[in-house]
Amino acid sequence: MFRDEYFILALKNTLKLMAVVPIITIAIALVLAFIISQSDLKERGLYRTVFYFPNIISLTVVGIIWSFVFHPTMGILNSFLNGVGLSAWAKSWLGDGSTALWCIAVTLIWQATGYYMVMHIAAMDGISSEIYEAATIDGAGPVRKMFSITLPLIKDIIGITFVLALSGTINLSFTLSKVMTGGGPNGASSVLLQYMYTQGFINGNFGYAMAITVFTLIISIALSMVSRKLTNSES
Amino acid sequence: MKTNEQSRRQAAALRWVVRIFMILVTVIMIYPLLWNVYSSFKTNNEFLTNAFSLPKSLAWDNYARAIEKSNLLSNVGNSVLIVLITLCVIMVCAVPCAYCLVRYKFFGSRLMLNIYMAAIFIQATFIMIPLFLQMNALHLLNNRVALAVLYATMQFPFAIFVLSGFLRSIPRDYEEAAMIDGCGPFRILIKVIMPMAKPGIVTVCMISAMAAWNEYPVALVMLTDPEKQTLPVGLANLYEVQRYATDWGALFAALILALIPTIIIFLIGQKQLIQGMNVGGLKG
Repeated sequence: MFRDEYFILALKNTLKLMAVVPIITIAIALVLAFIISQSDLKERGLYRTVFYFPNIISLTVVGIIWSFVFHPTMGILNSFLNGVGLSAWAKSWLGDGSTALWCIAVTLIWQATGYYMVMHIAAMDGISSEIYEAATIDGAGPVRKMFSITLPLIKDIIGITFVLALSGTINLSFTLSKVMTGGGPNGASSVLLQYMYTQGFINGNFGYAMAITVFTLIISIALSMVSRKLTNSES
Repeated sequence: MKTNEQSRRQAAALRWVVRIFMILVTVIMIYPLLWNVYSSFKTNNEFLTNAFSLPKSLAWDNYARAIEKSNLLSNVGNSVLIVLITLCVIMVCAVPCAYCLVRYKFFGSRLMLNIYMAAIFIQATFIMIPLFLQMNALHLLNNRVALAVLYATMQFPFAIFVLSGFLRSIPRDYEEAAMIDGCGPFRILIKVIMPMAKPGIVTVCMISAMAAWNEYPVALVMLTDPEKQTLPVGLANLYEVQRYATDWGALFAALILALIPTIIIFLIGQKQLIQGMNVGGLKG
C-alpha cells in the first residue's frame, strides 16, 4: 500500500485538507459566534439562521452548486474576477491540479462553519456577562475580550469541535471529491476514502481497498481517543 | 478620558463595521443558493449568455424537464420511504435504549454509553466496504428497507447520546408516581416518558431525517438499481450526465426540488434543531 504512488498522493491530499480546513473552519466559526453572541446587533437571530443554512443542504447538492461556482466559463468566481478586472486570475479552478484540492477545501469550510458556529454560540452564551462587564470597566476592547476571556473559558468546547471538524473533513471530503472533481486531474484532488472507493468498487480490489480503510480507521480512532480524553477532562 | 459622546460614536462606528462584515459573510453563505434558484428559472440560452442576470421570465419548463428526464420523482419517493422507515426504527429502538441506559444502572451500562459516544465518530464511509460485503452476503443489497434499517443503525449513537441527555433531565418523581399507581415499565415508557421527552425525540427525529435524506456514500454503494436510488445519488448521476449535455436549467431545477423539503423542515424546526444540538452536544 505504501508503495502505491496514488495512495501516497491521496494520503498527502487528505493530510493537507486535515491541516487546513478544521483550523480555518473553527477560527471563522469562533469569530462569527463571538460577534453573534456578544454584539448587540438586532438582527442576530437572523444571522444565526442564515449562517447555519449551508449545513443543512445535502452535501451532493453543495458539491454540484460549488462546481458551478468554480466553472471556468460560467462560474461565479471567474465572472466575478472578470467583472472586477482581475481576469488574469481567472482559470479553470477545478481542472487545474494545483487548485482543485483547495476548491474542495473552500467548499468544506463553507458548509461546516455554520454547524460549529452554532455550538460555539451555545458555549459562549453560557459565560456570565458579569465577566465582560468587569472587562469593559477595565477598558478592554472587543478583541481583547475575545482573546482573554471567551477563548480560555470555552477551551474544552473548542477542543471538541476541532476534533469533530477533523473527523468531518475526512468523511465529507469523500463526497465532495467524488462529485466535484472525480479525483481531480490525475489524482490531484483524490482523498483517502475516495481512493478507497475507486479501488474497491470500480477496480474491484476489495482487499486493497480494505487496507486503505483500516489505515483511515486507525487515524480516526486516534482522533476519537483524543476527543474522549478532552470530554473526560471537562466532566 | 474619552467623553461619553466620543465613546458612543465609537461604539456605533464599530457596530456598523461589524454589521458590514456580517452582511458580507451572509452574501457568501447565501449567494450560491440564490444563484441556483434564479438560474433554475432561466432558459438555457439566457443562462449561457449571462450567468448572472435575473431571469426574464419564470421558465417553469425547466422543472418539468427535470422531473421527466431524471428519475426525480421516483428518487424523491424512495428517499421519503427510506426516511420514514428510518424514523420508525429509531423511535422503536433508540428511545427505550436511551431510557434503559439512563434509568437502570446495570453492570456495563456505563461502558455501553461510552461505547455509543465513541461510535459517533465511526462514520459510514469508513466501513463502506465491509458493510457492502456483509449486505451482499445477506442478500440485502438493492433493498430500500434494509438501507433504512442501516441508516437507523448509523444514527443510533448520536440519537442515544442526545436522548439520554434529555431523559436524564426528567425528574424521577413522575415515574415513581406511575409505579405507585401500578404501571409496568412499558406503560411508564409509553405514557409517561415519551410525552415528556417529546422535544428531545422531535430533535432526534429531525436530525436523523435530514441525515437520511441527504446521505450519499452509503446509498451510492447499496442501491444500484436506478429505480430505487435516493435523491442525492440521483442528483449526482444527473450532474454527471449533464456535464456533457447542456441542459443546465433542468439540473438547477432538480437541485432546487431536492432542497425544498430540507428547507421546509429546517424553517419549521430550526429552533428545536439548534436547541437539540446544544443539549446533546455540550452537556453531560
